[in-house]
This record gives sequence, structure tokens and C-alpha cells, in this order.
Amino acid sequence: MTAILSVAGLRKSYAGVHALDGVTFEVEGGSITGLIGPNGSGKSTAIDCISGFQRLDAGTVTLAGSDVTGRPAHRIARAGLMRTFQTVRVYDRLSLADNLAIAAQQFDPATWADEFLRTRRYRQAVEASERRARELVELIGLERYYGAEAGILSYGQKKLVALAAALMPHPKIVVLDEPVAGVNPSRIREIEVALQQLNEAGETFLIVEHNVEFITTLCHRVIVLEQGRKLTEGTAAEIHTDPRVLEAYLGMTPEMVEAEMRGAA
Amino acid sequence: MKLATALVAALVLAALPSITSSNYIIGVGISALIFTVAAAALNLVYGFAGLLSFAQLGFWGIGGYAAALTVMTFGGSFWQGILWAALLNGAIALLVGYPMLRTNRHAFVISTLTFALLVTLVARDWVSLTRGPLGIPNLPPPHAFGLRFDTPAKFYWLVWVFTVTTISFLYALCSSRIGRTLVAIKQNEPLTRAQGISPMPYKLAAFALSAAITGAAGGVYCFNLRIIDPTFLDFYYMQTFLIIVIIGGAGSFWAVIASGMALSALPEVLRFSDDLRMIIYGVILVAAMFVMPAGVAGWLHERRLASMRAALR
Repeated sequence: MTAILSVAGLRKSYAGVHALDGVTFEVEGGSITGLIGPNGSGKSTAIDCISGFQRLDAGTVTLAGSDVTGRPAHRIARAGLMRTFQTVRVYDRLSLADNLAIAAQQFDPATWADEFLRTRRYRQAVEASERRARELVELIGLERYYGAEAGILSYGQKKLVALAAALMPHPKIVVLDEPVAGVNPSRIREIEVALQQLNEAGETFLIVEHNVEFITTLCHRVIVLEQGRKLTEGTAAEIHTDPRVLEAYLGMTPEMVEAEMRGAA
Repeated sequence: MKLATALVAALVLAALPSITSSNYIIGVGISALIFTVAAAALNLVYGFAGLLSFAQLGFWGIGGYAAALTVMTFGGSFWQGILWAALLNGAIALLVGYPMLRTNRHAFVISTLTFALLVTLVARDWVSLTRGPLGIPNLPPPHAFGLRFDTPAKFYWLVWVFTVTTISFLYALCSSRIGRTLVAIKQNEPLTRAQGISPMPYKLAAFALSAAITGAAGGVYCFNLRIIDPTFLDFYYMQTFLIIVIIGGAGSFWAVIASGMALSALPEVLRFSDDLRMIIYGVILVAAMFVMPAGVAGWLHERRLASMRAALR
């Protein structure tokens, strides 16, 4: 396995506060990697910096072997990194079909002239994109909303649309920012299954999430951040039992957790 | 369906001078067509790309002066004048648009407004070029292929061809993937960036094309007035374009076209009461905004959406 994404020495501070203080990690191709940490640990800053939405103070970001450090967001997307957002972002006033089509249009060969004149190259690109969109809309189970405006969907459904949109152009890696936060618990399982299927089909994911159970069932590897530094990294099982993680995350030592569990039982 | 309606409407409008011999009605028709073009151009930047540009007034004025000066000072034809009006505006828009579009939305609005005011100052104070407040009178009627467009009816047909051409171009643009991308940028710019789309070229292209078309429309309009002076940059024009777009429904192509024709005719229809005419016009506009804050198109859209939601329940 080789690393699709590797970041080294990420540093970012806001007015003297170190949001990121030298973070280094790798995401292997074909894996699902989790990025967790308590509030303010720098998870969101990390993916904003990786995806080009914020400027890094120092460090490097390498995507599939090429250095993309400091490039604007749209260039990093074109290089093969697609991301979603914590507060779900979809085009509310456009149809689901258009939402998905827009996500892929930058990746086909049609130029502005092709688009304006509706050339054959343009029509072929549209057909290919539509095939992909139908496939993904089926995967997320929203076929019957395909022609409907995205604005009428529920919050959880919009998260699924954002996921499908990120997958549209066959990216090298998909970065999901809290894919199940605020999602109805009954739907979380569906998202879990969908991500697993996609991963088996070869997609690589980096997932930032608060829901530890979701992360530990899904992820092959988990990276834990605390106060802008990497606290530890390992398999889900290792992380689950790491006393430092419990303390950072829950503010409790393993003994306290145990005591609490005994109390609850 | 919409396209068929538009085609029929265009043919009916083409027949206007054969239906009536009233120069007054034909005159209203000429203004309505030209204002509709300028409003459609504003709709491209404001309705589609979400950029509230007051610079349209400046482009309208530059277009008028460019066309008039081409003919009167530089000895060119009317057609060359319109071409220069469009090209000059496109170039200016690219030049001033780039820094303007890098600012946030509020700063953009203010800088476009300032641009329009600057153009007014230039028109008034660069006397050696524009002849200042005296303006440039006696613009000759256009001519081509031995035909002189010297009656209102003939000029009307010229304007009709101009309108159909520019509206067709704008429709091809707005209904293409480019138009859809502009809407996407307006709705959620960070998301477009995350999808590999660089917003700047799209915004800049929309701004420049809109400027070129507004300039050409201004050029045609001053030859309708037969004179150009600094009142050509009166805020009245900007207000008219903006009202047409907002009442029609910003971002909705055909609604703005229909609204352009209707609202240009409305003040004339209200002439039955000359004293209260503009007051009634104002009341209608305010009432329309109360009932339909997103314009006629937005209102229809909300109703469609409501029935869709009901059907899904």
C-alpha cells in the first residue's frame, strides 16, 4: 500500500493560538482513515489546510505523489481531493441531478466553447456524468428525488447528496467532514454501509468525526489529534483502549470510565 | 414550451409597426425592447452570478458615448459605433472587474456604484471629448444597404433585430452549463471551489459580457433619442433595469424578459391619470414586492415547490 495523501509538519496559528502545531500523517490508498480529537484539537483546521481552504504557515501536503502545498482549493480538487463540509453544503435551488453534475463538470474535457455550442464532446461528457450520477443516487437511495430540488431534502439526505457529489469525479481521496453529525441515528447505519461498499470498490476516505463508535467500526486506521498535535495513531482497536485517548477525548482516565460503567450497570 | 411562447411573442412584437401607425406606441415599443436587453444583461450578473452591479449604468453611458462619438467625431458608421460600444465596455469591464470581484460582495456593490458615478463625472467634465452638458445632438439615423432607418417604424425593426439577437445569445449562455455554474457560484461559492471550479473566470466573463451588451444597448438607445448628454447617465435608467429584474425574479431568464416588456409599458398604460401616474406605478411596485419578495418567478417557484413537498408527504 502506498500513501495517497501525506501531510508533514502542518502548522497553522490564529493570533498566536496554535491550531496546528506540527501534524504529520498519511492516508493509504484504499483505506478508510479516521481523524478524531476533542473540540478545538485542530481537525477542521487540518482538513481546511489540506484542501486549500486555509493557508498553511508551514508544512507540506502531498497528494498522489505531487506536492499541492499552498495551492488554491479548486486546484487541489482538480488534483483529485474532494471534500465535504461540516455544515452541509449543497445547491439548494438546483436539482439533485444538477448538484451531482456540477461536481463532475470540471473533470471532463468540455470547454466553455463546447458548453456554449453544445458540441458532441459536451454531450458525451454530459451522458457520462449522468450515468455516474444515476449510479450514485441509487447507492444513497434517493432515486425518487433525482429531479427534485435539493432544498426539499432533510439534513441527513443532504449529507448523502454531499457525499455522492464528492464521489462524482472518481476522486483519488474523499475527505468527509463530520458525515454523520446531526444525522438521525437510524440513518447513520445506512451511511456506514454505503461507505463500506464504496471502500470495497476501491475508494479512499479520510473521515473527521465526533462519533467515536462510527469511526471505530468503519476505519482501518485512526489518527488522534489533541491541541494541534498528533496524540497517537493506530488501528481502531488500539485507539479504543489507549488511555491517553480516553483522557483527551472524554477527560477521563480508564479507571474513571470503568467506574462510570459499573455505576451505570 | 417557454421557448415557443418566446418565439410567438417575438413575432407578435415584430408586427407592432404594421398593427399601429402611432409613433407614440412604436416609441414605447423601442424603449421597452432596449430596456429589456439591458435588464437581461443585468440579470446575467445579478440574477445568475449574484453580483449586484450598479456599473451597468456606467456601461450604458459609455456605450452611448462610444457609439455617438464613433459616428460624430470619428466619422464611423452606426454599426461600427455599436461594435465599439460593446468592445470598449467589455475591455473596461475586464480591467475594472478583476479588482472589484476580488473584494467581498458589499465592497463590490459600492465600487460598481462609484464606477457609475465616475462615468457621469467624465461625461460632464471632459468637455473636449463629450462636449459636456451640451451633449452631442443631431445623431443621424443609421443606414445599411441603401436603407435609412429614419422613421420610428424602421428604427423599431432595427431594435427588434438587435433585441432578438442579444436575447438569443444570452439565452444560449444562461441555459448552458455556464449559466448553471454561475447559479452554483451564487448559491454556494465554497462548494464550487471544493468541486474544482474557479469562480473568478466565470464571474469576470459574466461581468464583461453583461457590460458589452449593456453598452451596445446604450449605443442603440442614444440613436433613438438622437442626442446624448450627461442625463443619459441619470440614475433613472439603472433604477428601471433593476426594477425589471427584481419584479420579474432575479435569476429567472424569461420572467425578466416578460417583466421588461410589461414594466416598460406600465407607466404608459397609467397615463390615463397624468398626475397620479408615477404614484400608482410606485404603489404597484411596492405591493408586488410585498406579495412576491422573490419576484413573479420566485413566487411561482415557491408555489411549485410547495405542491412538490405536499406530493412527497
